[in-house]
Amino acid sequence: MKTRIILSLAGMVLLAVTGCTSVNTIENAQKEGQRQMVSDQRVITDTSLARKVSFVGVNQAMTPGGLLKVQIELLNLKRSLQRFSYQFQWFDASGMQINNVASPTIPDQIEGGESKFISGVAPTPACKDFRVKFIEN
Amino acid sequence: MKKTVLLSILAAAIPFIVGGCASAHYVETGGSESVVTVGQINIQDYIQAANAATSDLLASGALDKVATPPAVLAISRIVNNTGQQIDTDLLTKKIRVALLNSGKAQTTTTMGLGGTAEDPMAKGLQQENEFMNDQKTTRKPDFTLSGKIIQTIARAGSTRQATYSFQLSLTDAKTGLAVWEGEKEITKQGARPAVGF
Repeated sequence: MKTRIILSLAGMVLLAVTGCTSVNTIENAQKEGQRQMVSDQRVITDTSLARKVSFVGVNQAMTPGGLLKVQIELLNLKRSLQRFSYQFQWFDASGMQINNVASPTIPDQIEGGESKFISGVAPTPACKDFRVKFIEN
Repeated sequence: MKKTVLLSILAAAIPFIVGGCASAHYVETGGSESVVTVGQINIQDYIQAANAATSDLLASGALDKVATPPAVLAISRIVNNTGQQIDTDLLTKKIRVALLNSGKAQTTTTMGLGGTAEDPMAKGLQQENEFMNDQKTTRKPDFTLSGKIIQTIARAGSTRQATYSFQLSLTDAKTGLAVWEGEKEITKQGARPAVGF
């Protein structure tokens, strides 16, 4: 009986060790670059994903060729790896979606406690607005 | 009472049973429902690689450094170093369309590897036009796009892993120097079934 309990406990510890890995980071405290943060609008329909991976902020910049570049900072609120997919959508000045032949649903993952950036470049200079869809895998 | 409940449950279950029998349905190309295989490059991998290359190339501003925009691009050799027979147009066409739509580059279809034109009729008409007007109207490409697709396989126990590297280079046709280079790696992992092939 005792052996069974010990084995079960050992199994649980092993699961806890292998299932949970979080990330430690170090960075320069005095930042040279200034992020141009933009106010965002969020629609959360998957609260399960929102409880695991949160949006920290969105910043944007223009490329040398006049294309909008967007960067989103994500934070894994859990101690285990999370898998998700995301897709960028782009809109012109009239709010019409711009079709992009290479607009993939990109599978991605984020380690426990990790802060991660994902970015997208607008397919044409006509793109003024964007939306990013996130789906839990 | 029991009969009514049973009938209601049966009636509710019918659409699911019928729906479950459907043998085929449409899915979004490259979407999250797409089939993923370790030993093959799937359509979503081409879309992802093309998107990464296009975004990186457009953001670099390399195409903006031509005297008369938009830049003219010629497609050079895309080497297939995988164990599969693949059509590299699945990658290059997406890049071409995206670059054309961006307004930053146009691809010539009258110039190709070994003098073979992608569109022989356009080449014939262009040559005829030049002969009739007695002057060269063809704009030479500013850049060429070349690349390689490489497959790396790894196995550990029943776990199989494949990495597909999509390497691309944009070369300045005047200087012969690569002005932009991009690489997108896609790694897929799966377990080999314990029984079967």
